[in-house]
Parts: sequence; C-alpha cells; structure tokens
Amino acid sequence: MIHYEKFTLENGLTVLFHKDTTTPMAVVNTLYDVGARDEDESKTGFAHLFEHLMFGGSVNIPEFDTPLQNAGGENNAFTSNDITNYYDVVPAQNLETALWLESDRMLSLAFTPKSLEVQRNVVIEEFKQRYLNQPYGDVWLQLRPLAYHVHPYKWATIGKEIRHIEEATMEDVKTFFKKYYTPSNAILCIAGDFELEEVKKQVEKWYGDIPSGHKYARMLKKEPDQAEFREKIIEREVPVDAFYYAFKMPERKNPDYYVADVLSDALGRDKSSRLYKRLKKELELVSEVSAYITGSLDEGLLIISGRLSNGVSFEQLDEELWKILNDLQRHKIGEDELKRLMIKIRTAKEFQEQGLLNRAMNLCLFELLGDANGINEEALIYEKITSGDLLRISRQILRKTNCSLLKVQAVKK
Amino acid sequence: MIDRKNAPSIQGIASINFEKPLVFDITKGNHLFCMTNVQNETAKFELYFDAGSIYGGTETASVVNALLLSGTKDKTSIQINTEIDELGGFLEQGVSMENAVFTVYALRENILPIARIVRDAIENCVFDTRELEQSINSRKQKLRVNMEKVSVLAQRSFRQRFFNSSEKYSRVTNPEDLDFITQEELMQFHQQHYLKGLKKMVLVGNFSQSEIDSFMDVFGAWASEETPTFETGFENIKGYAHLEKKDALQTAIRIGRHLFNKTHEDYSDFLVLNTIIGDYFGSRLMRNIREDKGYTYGIGSMVSEMEHSGYFMIGTEVGKEVKDQALAEIKYELDKLKTKLVPQDELDLVKNYMLGQLLKSADGPYSMMDLFLSVEQHGLNMDFYNQVIHSINAVTPERIKELANKYLNWDDFTIVTAG
Repeated sequence: MIHYEKFTLENGLTVLFHKDTTTPMAVVNTLYDVGARDEDESKTGFAHLFEHLMFGGSVNIPEFDTPLQNAGGENNAFTSNDITNYYDVVPAQNLETALWLESDRMLSLAFTPKSLEVQRNVVIEEFKQRYLNQPYGDVWLQLRPLAYHVHPYKWATIGKEIRHIEEATMEDVKTFFKKYYTPSNAILCIAGDFELEEVKKQVEKWYGDIPSGHKYARMLKKEPDQAEFREKIIEREVPVDAFYYAFKMPERKNPDYYVADVLSDALGRDKSSRLYKRLKKELELVSEVSAYITGSLDEGLLIISGRLSNGVSFEQLDEELWKILNDLQRHKIGEDELKRLMIKIRTAKEFQEQGLLNRAMNLCLFELLGDANGINEEALIYEKITSGDLLRISRQILRKTNCSLLKVQAVKK
Repeated sequence: MIDRKNAPSIQGIASINFEKPLVFDITKGNHLFCMTNVQNETAKFELYFDAGSIYGGTETASVVNALLLSGTKDKTSIQINTEIDELGGFLEQGVSMENAVFTVYALRENILPIARIVRDAIENCVFDTRELEQSINSRKQKLRVNMEKVSVLAQRSFRQRFFNSSEKYSRVTNPEDLDFITQEELMQFHQQHYLKGLKKMVLVGNFSQSEIDSFMDVFGAWASEETPTFETGFENIKGYAHLEKKDALQTAIRIGRHLFNKTHEDYSDFLVLNTIIGDYFGSRLMRNIREDKGYTYGIGSMVSEMEHSGYFMIGTEVGKEVKDQALAEIKYELDKLKTKLVPQDELDLVKNYMLGQLLKSADGPYSMMDLFLSVEQHGLNMDFYNQVIHSINAVTPERIKELANKYLNWDDFTIVTAG
C-alpha cells in the first residue's frame, strides 16, 4: 500500500505528497500532460525537443542543472507519445532548491536563441544515434504509420523526420510553452521524509503565484477501427531478418488493457512463454522472440517481435505463429499458467515499488489517469483476471484484420 | 514577493550512515554477505564465480554462463525455467573479464525454493548438444547485429589496443570463433569454474538465520579453494587508430589510459577530477561538446575498476562530420585542466554533487550492498567511504591540477574512433 496525500492549489496545480521515513533523499516529480500525440503533424518531435529546452534556463535562473547539482541533486526527464515527465532527486534537506528550480521553469522559460540552436543539434544527434545509426533503429518510424492512419500515434516521439526538428522556431517554442506548461496541466509529486504541513507551505510558496493559464481540451482524431490486415516489407543492410506484428489493443483506462498485458506475458515475456517455447526452442524458427505492449494511454499496440533463424522464411514463421495465436482463441489457458503469469506480475510490482522515484512517477501517472489511488488498486485488477477474460481478449485482439506486420528483410551491402 | 533570483540556502551533507552486511564464512576466504532491513517482501541472492572471460577459450566463459540452466538429465531448459517462473523468479546472468555473476530476484517466500532449483540445474547441467547449437546460433546472430554498431566496433578495437600486452584481456570474439567451441571444453570449464569456483554469496532480504544457513547448505559445496591470479601492469598501444564504417552517420570515440583502483592513494581525489571532466551533466565535456557545440547526444568519462588494476575512459558518439573537432575539443579540455586551476565555485559544486550522489547510493539495503561489494572486492571496508567524504571535502584546485598533469597526458592515451 502506497500512502499519499493530495491537495490542489488555487491555480489548478495538483500536488501529491508521499511520505517515506526511511530515505535521506527527496524526489520532486513533475508530469506535464503533453506528449507527441499533441503535436501538429507538420511539426512533429516538438514535445521532445521542448523537453530539452526546459534545461536551457528559466525566467529568473540562467541554468537549471547547476544549482541542483550544487545542492547534491540530479535530474532527468523523458517524453513519450502521451506525457512529458521531469524529476529531481536531492538530499532531503535541499528539497527547496528543487522546488525553486521547477517552479521557475513552470512560471516561464528564458527562451534564449542559443539554447534553441544547440538543443536542435543535440536532438538531431539523438535522432541519428538512436534511430538511424543503429541496426533496426528505424523500425518504429516505419511501424507506427502502418498501424495508425489517423491518430497522432502514427509518428514517433523523436519526430517523423529530422527536418521537422531543424525547422523549429522560437515562435513555436513560446506557443507550445504557453499552451501546455501551465499549473492546471501539471501534476506534482513530492516524496520523502517530510510532514504534510511543511510540504504544503513550501509548495504554496513556490508555485502559488504562477498564473493558472488555460486548460486546453484535448481533441485527438480517433483511429478508425482497423478492418484489414496490413503488411509492409522494408529492405535494410542488417545481418538478420526481423519481424514486428502489431495488434491494436484497448486504451489505458479500459479494464481490458490489463488483460491484454497479461496476454502479452503469456505469449512472450519469459523463457516459459508460448512463443519462446514453440518458435525458438521446439521449432528453432527464431533466434529471439518476445511480446509486449506499448503501454499507451490511447488505443495502443500489443507487439510480437523477433528475428528469424538463418535459412527460415517469413512464411514459415507466419504459419506457426498463427497456429499459436489461434490456439489462444480456441482454448482457455490453464490455471497453472495463469498462476505463473500472476506471480511474476506481483513480484515485478513489488520490486518496482522498492524505488522512491518509481513510486512518485507512478502516483503522478495514476493521478493523470483519474485517481492516484489507482496505484494501489492495480494489483487487485490483475488478480481478478480470469482465463475467460484472456480468451475473450485473444479473440478480440489476435485477429489478422487487427494486425499490422512489418518485415525487415536483410540485404547484402 | 518571493525572491526567485537567488537560490534558497543549501545544507551540506555532514555524514552518511554506512551499514555493513552480516558476514559469514562459506569456507576460509569465501564469504556470504547478507543485508537485511528491507522495507518490503523483495529479496535477491547473487552468486559470484571465478569464471570470467579471461579463462578458457574465446567465448567459453560466456557460453557456459548462458547454458547454466540449459537442462539436466532429468529436466529440459524449458522445465527449469518454468519452475522458476512459477515461483516468480527473475534471473540475471553476466560475465565480465574477471568474474561471472548469477542473480535471482524474487519475493522472499519464494527465493529458497528457487535457489534449490538453480542449484540442481547448475550442478547437473549436461550441456545438451541441441541447446549448445541453439545458443551458438543465436550468439552468432547477436554478434553480427552488434558489429553493425559503431559503439561496439570502437569498444572492441579499444579493448584490443588497450590491453595489448595481455592475450587474455585483449581478445574479442568473432562469429567464426563460435564454430570451434566443443561440449567437452564447456563441461570442463563448468566443473572447474562453477562447481569449484564460488567466490562469494550475496543475500538481500529479511532473512532469518536459519534461511541464511539454508543458502549456505545449498551452495556451500561449490566454494572455491583456489586464490585466483589476475593480471596487472597492462600496457596499451598509445596513439590514434580509426576504423572506417561505410555509411555510418556517427563516429564512436573511446579514449583511455590505465590507472588504478580503490587501493591507490590517488583514487579518491581522481574521482573528483573524473567528475569534473565527464561524470555529471554539468561536466566540462558535456558543457563543451554537447551543450555548447551540439556535436553529440551525450559524452562521459568513467573510472573503471578491475581486481588488481583500473582504467580511465572517455566515450561518446558524435556526428561523423565533426569527429576531428570533437577530438580536438576533448584534448583541449584535458589540457586546460593541466594548465589552469579549477575555479573554486566549480570545485565546490562538484563536491556537493558527489556527496549528494554518495548519499543516494547509500539509500536502502540494495544500494548499500552494492557499495559494500565495491570495497570488499579490494579488501577494504565501509570506512573507505568516510575517507572518500573526507577526501572530497579536502581536495584543492592545486591538487586537481597536479593529478591532471600526472594522469591526463594525451600521449599516454589509447584513442580509437569507429564510424
């Protein structure tokens, strides 16, 4: 059970406080309800570029990192298609330094041309390092537009292409900040060995006078139901053929999201999973295979991916894979198998909650989903999943007309 | 109105509460360490074997490690893995040059039964030929994929040139090497380096004395009786080498020199110098090469420790067109530390940052155990960290400059680029 207190400032900022008396550290986690899905299709990659600019100085403080490091702290951030999350971990006695820094960049940025110029270059190098200069690195740039035709999940967080990042202007930066980086669009979590009153006082002091801004209404285009099997083959100079089967699955708030998660575990989480056993160990069709979900807030994807063994064709794999998927739609999985999946989920969650930062991040995420207490209800949702649920969701998801298949064909240089 | 221009006052870290684990003898010289006081029901056990990649043929150590749960005469690998999954166990296996580690994470109530399954599987592993073949084939594929990465190419070339004086430490695996591995050599390695190679056992979790005793019973018979001999006094090929990779968009850079580990008198002060150079976000290299020039997504430096030695290394990936500029800027930053004193405010910031990070790395029993293992490896105890705190607080700009002149001479470095 993770305890927390919640309060809201007049400007709309939601604040969570999680007390942990065993740690000498404090976490300040800030979730902004903006991600790549909120971008304009002609200006993709912007939410992530913006995350970099958040470290380029704020209205009253020339540099973000230096004072935090001086207080013995460290920080980082990440952007996904759904959210942008910033965190600071500092010795508890220096909590106020983190609040001073985070509140100032929520108030306003410095918007220096130099920062924009440099971070554009840094992000372009990141684009190259992670997506272009790695074998199979561009797979997600290809798979997303295959699986999504309308919803903004069709582009990756890093952006559709480098050109969009090169073309970002200061005007874009300012507009983006004004629209999304407001107290009413943020959730703050403070974790550590403090008293609630003390936390309230500090938060009120540093965040209370930030103008609330306008809460915008998100109106994303809904992805139409997929009604056909989609397939794309790309040729790349890689050593091995690779495959990515992407199945649409329910959005995060749907209880069936959890069922799909368990289904992906049954397929390919561990060395006792169905795909691993059959495709790798028994038939030796693949050198590696796994199944996982994207964890998206809107309608997401359940992915089955892997690499073919030498001399095996995509057709051979396809035939055997569908036998396994079809079997899941005909027969309920056994109680032993379900029990095995559940104990792994429970164990993983217990380890995840070992970390203070993880707890703070997850509290913010669940609050975004509607209620921070979701963090404590999740275990029960998993426990209640039956083999009947898994059968139902298998039938719903693991259909050919719900599938987008990307094949990476290895070609010689 | 609140004052947003000036930073709130900060409080330094006066002392850190370092805790030692419980220590038990497996045999004379080999120990079991146990850290309790875990706040929830998580637990782990970890086995350290004298089974690093310097032993045996190229890749023998890694293949044996990967096949530890590949089956006995009674059970297949699938059965073994299923049994462990039924108890919610998560495994981690790894081989470094000088050690091999086998780790299990699970809920405390399940971890002893998992330990027994693991013991039986390792003890009676038959190195089934089909399992071996599968493992070799997927390793070959993985290796071929990895060799497409400039970072891996640079790292391999660096290792060859850096440990040039030692055949065992400098070797890297090529896909064709894997064709020559025999079942017999694996079994022999397994017998010698696992079944008689256990160096230490590590437990984290709220274990009772009787549970600790049970772990001792389960694995104790594997305790090593030999004292391993690790090499020291490596010589590197100094100077620059480039590996061309057609069509690469980036160039990976590795720059390093041999150094020392925690047992050396300059170690603690050098850590401060290393942090200034490239071990935090505001480091000289990050500021110059990422935040000023935008040549890279990231650049860093590290001090890496080995059993009897250690080394200093800088690593990054930069745009292919700016490779030479990046190298020149790295050299410029190192030279500047040799000629100009570090400003006091920068040094103070680094001190505060390092103490904060040390506090964080002492937060909780899992982290505390890692801290302990990192001193225990060199025959030191937790007092070492109090000395580190003292050294960090005491180090001066003059001392940093002295160390820079002693250890940062460009001509001493092995420099490799790939891309």
